[in-house]
Parts: sequence; structure tokens; C-alpha cells
Amino acid sequence: MQLSVVVREVQVPLLASLLLGGSAAKLVHMLRVRSVDAALGPTALFPVYLRRPAAMLICGCEFALGVGLILTAGRICRGVPTTAVRLGTALLFLVATCALIELRGTRPDIGCGCFGDFSTAPVSGRALARSALLAVAALSTVGLPPLQPPHRGVAAILPLGILAAELALVAVLSPEIGEALVRLGYSEPCELRTVPAERTVAALHRSSQWRRHAGLVSAAEPVDMWRELCWRYVVYPGELHGRPVELVFAVFLRQHRPAIQAALVDAATGNVLPWPGSVRPATEADRMRRLIRAPAPAFSAPTDPGLGIPAVPGVRGAGVR
Amino acid sequence: MLDTGGDHACCDRCAGAGTAVRIARRRLLKAAVFRTADVRPADARPADVRPADARAADARASSTAGARAGATQGAAGLLPDRARARFATSGELPRAVTGEIIDVSPHFLVVSNGASQQRFALTPDATAWRGGALEPAALRPGDQVVVRLHKKARGVADRIWANIGRVTGTIVERTRDGLLVDEGTTRKRQFVTIPPRASGRIQVRFPSLEPGYLIDVIGLRRGGALEGLIPATSQPAYRVDQMPAPALVSGHVPDAISGSATWHEPADEPPGVLGVAYPALDPEVGCAEGPGPGVPGNARMPYLSIGSVLLVRNDCTGSSCALPVTSCAAVGRLFNDRCVTCGTSPRSRVADLTQASFVALGGELERGCFNATITIGG
Repeated sequence: MQLSVVVREVQVPLLASLLLGGSAAKLVHMLRVRSVDAALGPTALFPVYLRRPAAMLICGCEFALGVGLILTAGRICRGVPTTAVRLGTALLFLVATCALIELRGTRPDIGCGCFGDFSTAPVSGRALARSALLAVAALSTVGLPPLQPPHRGVAAILPLGILAAELALVAVLSPEIGEALVRLGYSEPCELRTVPAERTVAALHRSSQWRRHAGLVSAAEPVDMWRELCWRYVVYPGELHGRPVELVFAVFLRQHRPAIQAALVDAATGNVLPWPGSVRPATEADRMRRLIRAPAPAFSAPTDPGLGIPAVPGVRGAGVR
Repeated sequence: MLDTGGDHACCDRCAGAGTAVRIARRRLLKAAVFRTADVRPADARPADVRPADARAADARASSTAGARAGATQGAAGLLPDRARARFATSGELPRAVTGEIIDVSPHFLVVSNGASQQRFALTPDATAWRGGALEPAALRPGDQVVVRLHKKARGVADRIWANIGRVTGTIVERTRDGLLVDEGTTRKRQFVTIPPRASGRIQVRFPSLEPGYLIDVIGLRRGGALEGLIPATSQPAYRVDQMPAPALVSGHVPDAISGSATWHEPADEPPGVLGVAYPALDPEVGCAEGPGPGVPGNARMPYLSIGSVLLVRNDCTGSSCALPVTSCAAVGRLFNDRCVTCGTSPRSRVADLTQASFVALGGELERGCFNATITIGG
């Protein structure tokens, strides 16, 4: 059997298991928080009233495509149904890749939600690469003849080896593995991890964000640095066109290649400024789009009218977690 | 008399001058990074964590706050209206007033906060505490009071605590006069005397009044010392240097953490400030967190910093309020106790509130705690 055919055959069970696993993890998350509304990655991009149906649609699609891939793997439902399911899977991962790119730009603080509770780390290049890889894998299965019964003996080594190698690649691209270790107690959760400030600053200085903006920095040492849960914020003074500014970096407290977000703020007024030479002024359409995407309060806190205590929007659930 | 100066070493994280500025600035910068939708820097204003009484005076007189509030006003820090609305503000939460009694009669009470005076009506339902329950009219001019105002009528005093104080920390020395207590690296050492009438009551809950053991007592302030009258909790059986290791945490810390919320006296903070001392500030910034190196805390709580926002809920009354972290609860983390004000709370102290916050959330100061749930947010 040709190597290319074996590689394509391996994709079907791999994609089916990942889709069913993702669907199950999302379902568990919904059951745990007892709400379908709980923001799951890209659903945060939708207006509030669409998040619930979007979450249900994503979960349902994954389950249906996972089951569909298994049912159409053999000689049953050959032809159009098989092609439709495999094209649908490829389309799902393509859309997911685009959604993750958008999510990374607009809500850099939340995870992809691909595997429910396990996907809380901010969307990284690894998560994007994984999604793109799976889209390619799904595309490669289009037109594949029905899968043969499992090989025995020496002939089974090749497909098993390819499957193991691809699983290892997916694992390397999955931030959820680290999360699973935290859940199992083998690793300390990032909220409780003691991370030296020097390490955070060193990671920042190695990052592309720093290389891009370091020219604006006017002091060697940060003027303020603080930590909140899994993020450490580092503030440097700077100067832009003769105006004093502050460069704010949020560094995710992870050992290697942490996610880093940056903003430029006018030191006097507190206004967020566009990065020089890189950002066009927001159009009316942009502003409207941003308004629609504005994250809603995760919950309304109980209030005490007697005390006049206001409800408090924006808790951790809508942010880092 | 024992030396209470100790090695008091205040640091970047201690509340006081500049804290309001820092809180406001950090919230703004955090919002800038993550572009949260509710922050518009253009209409930014300082976070108001000044004393409730000073802010109330501001509202009336449209003038700057008094001397005590001055330390935290005039902020260059910026915070927009909508973000600021998350916190209880002077117009919304003027339920706790602190100051010194200027005049008292069976029908009214006049309290001075240094910059202005406030007059409160006393109804027959009003109660007072000064080492024990007493009639409000029995209070004396010169008493330092914390006044809780009526829920619906802000000009009416509902509950008054006079000269109340609290010492929570590790006993470092015991003499015939009393106990010298270390409240952590960020606060001065406190001297506690225990009168014979309260000795039995305290020793039932604190059998080991020896150096190295923890103590938490509520009583009356007399000069620089505290006359301990009420045990605020039960003493842990272990010495501070023999604390058990905290339990390992599997998985992430939950969003909402339940436990005991206590209160503390203002040290470097302006009296009446609305805020919370959190037991797990980032140990990487400023001074050491606990009472000494190598002393682990009991609870494993997520690390935060000055300016982080906690939603604190009084599980006994249902009241809740968003409060900024204004200081470090250096000693609170050493206690692994429960609060039994209403039911039994899970172990550990999750928040150490300022007097004003504690009272505003419906807590009774002489009880020492209320069952609470905190949610990290903002």
C-alpha cells in the first residue's frame, strides 16, 4: 500500500476522535457551569444573544461530524455523504482557524475553548497551527476510498507509527496537555505559581512584541509591575512625537514563549494610542463592530438596594479563565 | 513597656498615600491592554477609595477632602466613570462613618472626621458598643467611633462602635503587663493587655498565650495598647513556625472562593477607606508577604496585586460589593479558621476588610468575621 494512502487513512480515525473529544469536553464544561451561555472561545466573538446558539451549534457540529466520519469510513454511505462529511470537517477546521485568528486579535485574554475547560490559555500560534493542520488533514481525506479493515502483524506497524507520530505532533501543538497536567495535580496552576519578576522581564525582552516597540521605551527599568492571576503587567515609560507615553505589556505566566499583549497609553490623559505607523484610525464600521462584540457581563452580582451597592460586571470568568 | 516599634517596614504594597492613584492607574492600563469595553479613558477620573466620611463631606461641600483623606486624593491616576461605578462610591455606600465624638445626647450624635463634622439622629433602636453593649447616650466625647448608618435614612445612626480595636498576629513576647504581638512585616507591633474579667473567656479560645502562637482578639483601644476582651476566633494548635504545609491544589483555583472575611484596624490606611487586604499578594513585588520568610500560608489562593478587584459577598446578609485590594493581609493567611456567624464557612480567611467595608457589608465588628464568598474580577 502506498504511503500517501496510509497517511490519508490515518486521518479519519484521528479527526473523528478529536472532534468527539472536543464535543464531549465542551458538553462537560456546559454541564459543570450549568449553562450553555458560558463563553467558549470563539463564541465570545458573537453578540450576547447569539452565543448560546453558537455554542450549541459548534458542539453539535463537532459531534455530528465525528460520528459521520466514523459511519462513512467504510463501505456504508459511500459517495456524496462521505465527501460531504469530510468536506464539512475541513470547512469546520478552516472556519475555526479564521475564528481563532480573529479571537487572538480582539479577545487576546481568553482561550480557544476547543476542549472546554482545558483550553483556557490564550490562543497561541500553536493552537492556530493545530487547527490549520487538522483542516489540511481533513481536506486530504476527500476522495479517499473506503478504509480497509485493520492490518495485522508487520503491516500494522506503518499506520500505527504514522498515527503515533501525528498524535505526538498534535500533542506538541496542544496547550491543553499542560492544562491536563495541572488538573491531574502534576503541575501547579498558573494562578498559584511563583514566577520571578526577572523571568517575566527576560521573557518580555526576548519577545517579538518587545522588539517591535522597544524603540519607544525611554528607560531601562519598568515604572510599574504587578501581577493578577496568570498575567503579569509591566509598564515602561516612553516617548512618542515628544509626548510622554507608557508602554504596557501583559505577559502570561508560562515557562516558555508566553503570550504577550501590549498597549500604548498617553501618560497624561490615559488615552490608548495607536502604535506608530501600524494602526489606521477606526472607521465607523469598525466602531460598530466593536460595539456588537463588546463582551457582556458574565453575571450580575446580587445587589442590596438598601446599601445602594451596584452590580458588578466583568468577573474572571469572562476574562482570563 | 515593651517596644512596639519593631522592624515595621512599610513597602510599596502598604495602603496609604498614592494607593488610590496606583489602583486607578493599574486598572486603566490593564483595560488598555485587553481593551475591555467598559473603559473610556477620555472621561477618566480618579478611583475614589478615600474614606467614606471624607467623600461624603466632599459631596456636600464640593470641596477637597480633609486632612486624613488628603493622602489619597488629588490622584493623577485615571479611571473612567463606568469603571469607577463598579466600586461602591460615596453616594452609594455612605453606610460607615468613622471619626471622633464631639457631642452626644439621647437624640443625636456629632462626629468629627478632622475636616468636617457630621450630625446623626439617634433613634430608640440604635445600639452602641464600648467593650459591651450600652446606650448610645452613654458614649463620651473623645471616643473614636465607627458608626453604621440606617439602611434607608442616612442621617440616622443604626449602630455605633466606640474605641473598638483588634490585634491579629503572632505573640513575640509575654510579660506581666501583657503581650507583644507581631502583625506582619507591614504593620507595627501591637501591645495587648488582658484584664482579669476577660482572661477566662480569652484563654478558653487561646490556651497558649506564649511566644510563637497566634492570637486574634477584639477589645478597647486605650492609648497605644489594646485591652483584649473578646476572642475573635479559636487559636490554631500549632506554633507559627510549625505550620502544616497547605493542601495541594489540583486544577485551577475556582472563580469563587468561600471562607471567612475578617476586619482590621487602619494602620497606614486612612480610616474609613473602602478596600480589602488580600492574603496572597504577589510575593515578587516589594516586601515579603508573610510575617517572615519560610512561613507558608494556610490557604492556597491565587496571586493578586494592589488594585485588583474582588467582589466580596456577605453570605449572611446577601450584600455584596466590589472592593479594590488596598493592602496585604500578612497574618490573615496564617489562620486556617472558619467563621460561624451564619452556618459554618469553609476554612481559611479569604479577605481582611477595612472597618468601613466590613461594616458597610453588614458585618458586626465585635463578632470579628462573617461568612463570605469572594470572586476575583475587574
